[in-house]
Amino acid sequence: MTMMTRRNALKLMGATAAAAPFAGALPALAARDKELNILCWEGYNSAQVLDPFRSARGATVKAESLTNDPTMINRLRAGETKVWDLINVNNPWARKAMYPEGLIRPLAKDEFEPFFATMAPEFKAPYRWAMSDDGKDLLGMPQRYGPYSFVVNTDKISLKTAEEQGWDLFNDPAVKGKYGILESDDWNVFDVFLVAGINPFKAHSDADMEKFAAAARMIFSGAKLVGDIAAMNQALVSGEIDFHFTGGVYSVSPARADGHPNLRAVTPLKGPIDGKGGVAWIEITSTVNNPALSPLAVDFLKYVQDPKVAHTVAFAEGTFNPVAQMGNKACFDLFTKEELDAIQYDTLEADMARCAEYDIVPDYDKALELMTAAKRAKG
Amino acid sequence: MRSSAAAGTEASAAAPRKPFRLSRGALAALPVGVTLALGFLAPLATVAAYAFATPKTFDVFRSFTFANFAAVFDPSNTVWTSFVWSIGLAAATAALLAVIAYPIAWGLTRVFGRYAGFVSVLFVFPLFVSENVRLYGWTLFFLKNGVLDGTLKLIGLSGPEVLYTPGMILFGMLYVYLPFMLFPMTLGLAMVPRDLVEAARDLGASRLMIWREVELPLAMPGILIGLLLTFVLAVGAVAESKVLGGQSVIVITHDIEIAFTFAQNWPLGSALALLLTAIVSALSLVALSKLDLDRILGRR
Repeated sequence: MTMMTRRNALKLMGATAAAAPFAGALPALAARDKELNILCWEGYNSAQVLDPFRSARGATVKAESLTNDPTMINRLRAGETKVWDLINVNNPWARKAMYPEGLIRPLAKDEFEPFFATMAPEFKAPYRWAMSDDGKDLLGMPQRYGPYSFVVNTDKISLKTAEEQGWDLFNDPAVKGKYGILESDDWNVFDVFLVAGINPFKAHSDADMEKFAAAARMIFSGAKLVGDIAAMNQALVSGEIDFHFTGGVYSVSPARADGHPNLRAVTPLKGPIDGKGGVAWIEITSTVNNPALSPLAVDFLKYVQDPKVAHTVAFAEGTFNPVAQMGNKACFDLFTKEELDAIQYDTLEADMARCAEYDIVPDYDKALELMTAAKRAKG
Repeated sequence: MRSSAAAGTEASAAAPRKPFRLSRGALAALPVGVTLALGFLAPLATVAAYAFATPKTFDVFRSFTFANFAAVFDPSNTVWTSFVWSIGLAAATAALLAVIAYPIAWGLTRVFGRYAGFVSVLFVFPLFVSENVRLYGWTLFFLKNGVLDGTLKLIGLSGPEVLYTPGMILFGMLYVYLPFMLFPMTLGLAMVPRDLVEAARDLGASRLMIWREVELPLAMPGILIGLLLTFVLAVGAVAESKVLGGQSVIVITHDIEIAFTFAQNWPLGSALALLLTAIVSALSLVALSKLDLDRILGRR
């Protein structure tokens, strides 16, 4: 009989310890019914939204929030379709980029189309941005949305003046040093085009690009600062700046909710996008084309349609926004007067009517290059 | 009792020679080696490979082109200004910190005595708070109607308008990187034998001469490490220009960030990162060639 020596016992213990981490690896790779990974804008990653879902499903939910669409889509392009189950980005990306590139998969229409019936009227099925180009497949669900042009301190510039002047406000040499620029380069590209009087969402001539470059140089050289949402709101509240380039309900609502109703998102009355001067965003959340997609992805998309959860999403930490589910009275009634005021609900419909919808700029790369050069020239 | 090492040597002498057999030392180092290879070299190699991939694609290891470098060196591309700002600000940070940290380091080794530990902790403590939080703190301090301006207004004055300027970026970098200069410098000064200073003084050397001929040369390894450390860290700084500088200056790390995010051009971002790494490595190698690490670490 072989005796177990102390040395053998130690070896066995060592081997067991070394093997332990791998013991559960195979089943974990195969079944993901208790695990969900979400790539999203901030809000969906908040504990208020995720914790009830986690406890109800006994699931491990990981959500990573980023603050621009291109980065999130690049993560999928770089091979992270194996990692994520849901992706939450702005409207054009699902039908114009992610679906054609095979990064997302369609939803079951019969399960999700009924939700559109209770949304605000403009989201009724078939909602354009939720559908594939050929109109056959449902690619995602809309929820948060809002107008996004610029923000003013109405104590310094009246809402009427700001709306009437629109983007020409930035063409006035007298405003040099009185405004900031929100660091949101894709939106800044749209808005520099708008200041130059050009529709951003069409192919541009060399002459257009020259105008764009000149407008970018003027805007960046005249800005007091470029920064994130916190920096913009802080500078508006302290009086460092009177208004800021690129911004909307999404960026200013935290300051409004914090007791600064004089700060307001402005949508120009007119502009070069078929007469419209504002741009609005609508988030679409889609299931990623993950070879081992978690069944919780579809569950979560249904979960956030619930009126109470939709209200939580609208007022999750970070920014506050209208949600499509406000078309449902059960959801709308959950919003207090203060909350409706923070998201400028009084003018939401009128503002949205003056907005074109976020779209892809055909010559974005060239425009971004010119704009980055204008930023560098500021120094 | 025989040592196990001796037993191992005898066993290997008796056995026929086997090629590729790892020594026990190499075997023991294997886990660390593998971790370093996976965690340190693999990402670097991937970035390097991306730098030669077709622009705006993810064809890493499947394509090879110099197009990204051609774009960087294109005369119409103004990205060189970002390199100049980053290297210039980092050089200024390192140089100014050498001057600022020297008296503090001297105090820690010669003056503060039993309070030196406490003073060191005061300099280390901010490192436990996130850099962004500390920089936002300074923004609140210098902001219009902020801590400084608001307080001065109480007595009829107003604060200086220093926020969102390149000078403020430099201030932020000096503040953030001070400990990285201070501690190597303190180590360097601690290596200066008091006897030598005393001997120089006994032999009639002036304070300036002692500093120039004895203290500075002997503390130089620590000073050089501090310069190197702060320069390498500062050249990669981005938060200072974003938070305190209001992006009044675009540094190269910000350009790299734009390439990886809004521009959706990982190969261009990788090419910029590789160029920055090459420049910083070259400068570091020059500095390291002037250092005798053995002497610093063990006085061998």
